[in-house]
Amino acid sequence: MDFFSEFPEMGRQDLRDFKKAIDASFREFSRAYGDALEAFFEPLLWFLVWLEKLLTDAPWIVVIIVVAALAWLGSRSWKLVAGTIASFLVIGYLGMWEDTMATLAIISVATLLCIALGIPLGILMARSNRVQSAITPVLDVMQTIPSFVYLIPVVMLLGIGKVPGLIAVCIYAIPPIVRLTNLGIRLVDKEVLEAADAFGADYKQRLFGVQIPLALPNIFAGVNQTIMMSLAMVVIASMIGVKGLGLPVLRAISNQYLALGLLNGLAIVTLAIIFDRVSQEYGRRLQAHRQGADHG
Amino acid sequence: MKKLLTAAAVAGAAVLGMAGQASADAHSCGSMTMAEMNWASAELMANVDKIILEEGYGCEVELVAGATMPTFTSMNEKGEPDVAAELWINAVREPLFKAMDEGRLMSAVEGPITQLGEGWWVPPHTAEKHPEIVNDVNALLARPDLFPHPEDPSKGAFVGCPAGWGCQLANANLFRAFDMEAKGWILVDPGSAAGLDGSMAKAAERGENWLGYYWSPTAMIGKYSMVPVDMGEWGGPENWDGCIVKSEQECANPKPSSWTHSEVHTVVTSEFAGRGGAAVDYLKKRIFPGPIMNSMLVYMADEQAGGADAAIEFLLKHEDLWSQWVSADAAAKIKKSL
Repeated sequence: MDFFSEFPEMGRQDLRDFKKAIDASFREFSRAYGDALEAFFEPLLWFLVWLEKLLTDAPWIVVIIVVAALAWLGSRSWKLVAGTIASFLVIGYLGMWEDTMATLAIISVATLLCIALGIPLGILMARSNRVQSAITPVLDVMQTIPSFVYLIPVVMLLGIGKVPGLIAVCIYAIPPIVRLTNLGIRLVDKEVLEAADAFGADYKQRLFGVQIPLALPNIFAGVNQTIMMSLAMVVIASMIGVKGLGLPVLRAISNQYLALGLLNGLAIVTLAIIFDRVSQEYGRRLQAHRQGADHG
Repeated sequence: MKKLLTAAAVAGAAVLGMAGQASADAHSCGSMTMAEMNWASAELMANVDKIILEEGYGCEVELVAGATMPTFTSMNEKGEPDVAAELWINAVREPLFKAMDEGRLMSAVEGPITQLGEGWWVPPHTAEKHPEIVNDVNALLARPDLFPHPEDPSKGAFVGCPAGWGCQLANANLFRAFDMEAKGWILVDPGSAAGLDGSMAKAAERGENWLGYYWSPTAMIGKYSMVPVDMGEWGGPENWDGCIVKSEQECANPKPSSWTHSEVHTVVTSEFAGRGGAAVDYLKKRIFPGPIMNSMLVYMADEQAGGADAAIEFLLKHEDLWSQWVSADAAAKIKKSL
């Protein structure tokens, strides 16, 4: 009867030894390879430091002009450019300029890194069902595992600061771009592909000339989600010592500073909206252009 | 169907009966809420208190998660929870004493754990190789090159207190007081307890140099045998209370100082002190010697035990200690329940 009412669990001592063994082997790993891993990520750290210095040291007017120009290049919308300039002015006026620049630096790098890694991975997944069935569960884990669970090993290996923060952000933010690139390519009409084959397109032509352009709406939805999720991770990244808008939010949480939390939180939202609108407009323009070319 | 209904009725009656019993027992002490702060020694204390008060005195103890600032604010403003077992008062000294003067809060015991303190620490290998920096704060501050900051190796990294903790202001002001920026240091905000622990553990494990803020008694200090840094002369209470623990705007001219003597109190609301009876008497007597607390903390870390498990371990292992805190009658009841 006991067998049914009590779960036949591992003994307490065994469970403890099991956990201790995992910890000990990780400690061994960290001692053996930690320095090598740190050295591997060093160039990334330099780039992050350089970009943040560039953004914080440059005169604020120059930064705003560059950001506005990027917004214009992306969206070709005066409304968006005006909104971008206005929000940066307000952010600066409210004393959040430096933190915003630090956040901007790490989020831009995180997003670019995720896109640069995520799109090829998505293409790979779309090519082969076996790769897809191998990668999908990994993506599921990355999206659902509580971030503190992987922050502990990351901090033990790489310490606190920008690189571990960037890795934490990317673990959480990369799945949508991979998934949606894969999905977009898989959704391309079979008949269109047959037509491409009939014209004698090789793999490269088929991929870059047909599949990716037709998958663009989905890919851009992925880019968009990746940006949003990396901004959502700003506060978590700050918990392992990443400078930026997350730190004041943490300070606000522990001390119940309503206004401080609200202002910095809204600054994160503002960055998210700007990133989102510009990238979406850019995606839309890219597709409109293609449609025009197709019909013309 | 009928059978089922009868069974339900019986079960219902049983539950009601039990509830009645519990409330009858509770009259001897009442139901109370106790803050379980989010660090190990406080978790252990809260759980020891819970077992002793529930088993020995028939109280109903509800543990609520807490942290220094939120718990103090809540106790001060709303009178909840009833007890904070381990309140480090350095961060809340002025409002706490005001609340005591105005009769909202009371200290049940000063120093529920002995031999505790905050300060700056280095790993043992650093102390061994450079003994001069441990005993002389100026010699330490002259050597930022020993503690290179990964993001800017020309500067020394001083790992301060996580964002939002009371000690964050003190560390930032001491950083200014010792003129550390000009001496080539950077104040690193580890962001969270996990960040602070992780950065210290990484350095201690890998034999790297590390300088940062921590406090004792903790498993981290015990486990890595961290060495406290002599921070020099005590700069006086005006400098500390009037400046160092305030925000930067309120502290224009911080002076160097050693860390203030840490006061930890078990704080109860006056309302609870009035009705708590035997529970309050127990809290007044309950003092953990530092070495025993340290050994329990290392046990918790090594065995990955939570506060509840560690409390049982403590009660089993240190009966001679806790039996002095309670009446013989209560001690017998507690012992029986283990």
